[in-house]
Amino acid sequence: MEYNGGSVVAMVGKGCVAIASDLRLGNQALGISSNFQKIFPITDRIYLGLPGLATDVTTLKEQFRYRVNMYTIKEEREIEPEAFAHLVSSTLYERRFGPYFIEPVMAGLTKKPSGEYRPFIAASDLIGCLNFAKDFVVAGTASSKLFGVAEGLWEPDLEPEDLFETISQTLLNAVDRDAYSGWGAIVHVITPESVITRTLKGRMD
Amino acid sequence: MSAFEFANQSTVQGDYTKVSCCRVVLRFQWVFTIVVEYAMEAISHAGTVLGVLAKDGVVLAAEKKVTGKLLDLSGTKEGGYGGSGEKIFLLNSNVIAGVAGITADANSLVNYARTAAQRHLYSYNEDIPVELLTQRLCDLKQGYTQYGGLRPFGVSLLYAGYDPHCQFQLYHSDPSGNYSGWKATCIGANNGTAQSLLKQDYKDEISVEDAVALVLRVMSKTMDSTTLGSEKLEFATLTVDPVTKKPKSKIYRPAEVDALLKKHDLAKKDEDAEMKTA
Amino acid sequence: MDSSFAITGKGYVIVAADMTAARSIVKMQSNEDKIKVLGSHLLMAFSGEPGDTVQFAEYIERNIRLAHIRNTYPLPPPSAASWIRRELADSLRSRSPYAVNLLVAGYDLPTHEPKLYWIDYLGTMAPVPFAAHGYGSYFALSLLDKYHDPEATVDEGLATLRRCIDEVSKRLIVTPGKFKVKIVDKNGVREVDF
Repeated sequence: MEYNGGSVVAMVGKGCVAIASDLRLGNQALGISSNFQKIFPITDRIYLGLPGLATDVTTLKEQFRYRVNMYTIKEEREIEPEAFAHLVSSTLYERRFGPYFIEPVMAGLTKKPSGEYRPFIAASDLIGCLNFAKDFVVAGTASSKLFGVAEGLWEPDLEPEDLFETISQTLLNAVDRDAYSGWGAIVHVITPESVITRTLKGRMD
Repeated sequence: MSAFEFANQSTVQGDYTKVSCCRVVLRFQWVFTIVVEYAMEAISHAGTVLGVLAKDGVVLAAEKKVTGKLLDLSGTKEGGYGGSGEKIFLLNSNVIAGVAGITADANSLVNYARTAAQRHLYSYNEDIPVELLTQRLCDLKQGYTQYGGLRPFGVSLLYAGYDPHCQFQLYHSDPSGNYSGWKATCIGANNGTAQSLLKQDYKDEISVEDAVALVLRVMSKTMDSTTLGSEKLEFATLTVDPVTKKPKSKIYRPAEVDALLKKHDLAKKDEDAEMKTA
Repeated sequence: MDSSFAITGKGYVIVAADMTAARSIVKMQSNEDKIKVLGSHLLMAFSGEPGDTVQFAEYIERNIRLAHIRNTYPLPPPSAASWIRRELADSLRSRSPYAVNLLVAGYDLPTHEPKLYWIDYLGTMAPVPFAAHGYGSYFALSLLDKYHDPEATVDEGLATLRRCIDEVSKRLIVTPGKFKVKIVDKNGVREVDF
């Protein structure tokens, strides 16, 4: 976790979810890139964050893309967040005794039979133990700090713009206290109509 | 013991007793020829599939043979990626294919193609080039003409695709594993008629809209049935999205096919209305 | 102890690598080429565990060539880099991993863009405007933060490279010695005297 650094957080809002990460890629204390993406779109309504060892970030991103594409083309429909969470879990557990050093965080909207969308967030440890939270989930080198700030700032039923502000402040303030995270941030707010993506500057040191 | 020695052994028990080397070779050639030709013959009775390459896209159309009042088509109206999953398939985000021949074999080939395309994406982080995907399938098909005891895939395919190397492309592959690139071509029943019509009317630098019109016109002339409708026709286009610059395939849903036919004045006429005007 | 640098500019990438082959404290050679030409528009600077480096670089070189022959067109830089990364990532979890760090530089013909990828022996890959490996990176990256210009001409790029190499020669306890410098742009690969 500390080798490359990086952190991800996801939060539930009112009929929406948000997921955010920093953009640093490091080699221990040396910064390599300030534009290293750790969050990837899985479908139009699911985003996956992969903080941890950077080689596994890329490998897992490509592996999940392969598995989700095969699922989509065979099932002839997009994967739902619950099913995807279990796909993540079983993919990681396949490597139970030689794991990928990644703690995934996912955020999405589940389509209910009534046609409404229900917010969904989940996180997993590096061997696939799922945690379905109702409020927020954190992971990465700044996770301990993220817990503290999120606990203080998050409240239920935030509208998309308020959720954006809450998750952005949570992430920015948490990574400022972490030497391995930072160098800019990216935030995605997923609503039933669209996904709002914004890149933030923050402290670039 | 080499194969040559084996063939020359007159004392060997079994089918090849007292068969000379030459006759074994001939027998294999004969088996190859009839089995592959049998497959090709089957395809020439299958529903027509037609493809036209335009300068800004590719168009595919296919005739469905299996129809009937009791056939449940409710699944094709929504969900999935369009089409009825009978003749035109999405192989990858940049390739669609029309199939003619034994449906069960086609499904197996489509599945193979999709897996091959995803494996390429996994290894190289790019969409598989169209010709490479065609080659992958042809390698498989060729294998079944070579090894004894196996039946070849009774399927011809038309591949319509896009890649940054060669832009839009249209390929045809047959059961023997041969493939070739085309500007416009046709497989299945009446392919001779369709090809000569295409030869007459195809122009280089044709646009997608003109290609759609050409495909529909040729289809309406070659299909056995007198009227065109979504229950007999599958239709698809592959273009490049002007905003994202990514290939965009559109396999028409039944309602969209009917709307398209209406637009081109080829839709089923209301019989009552015709009676009144007569 | 080896150092390598790469800088993108307007329509080109400059790649530089030191030319020293050393065993322990002894300098064995001072004219080794540590930049492989993988294709008409593709370069790869390699460094790391002696033995692994050349073995891995030649394995990559031949497989990229094979892909070119089979597919009739060469792998574009992003695809080549992704494939090379996967080879390292797979190797990392194998019985005998390669310990090789790479800078993959190329000119992407379909999009007309210079491409540069920083890849380490774990299979970590990052697309970057400039990059460095080895002890030289601790000096060069901070210099490049200040002086790198994505719109710079080749001459300006070479001047920036000169700053990096001079700084490393001045501050590193073991001076890397001479550097091999290659440039890839729309016309292909060429070597420059430096």
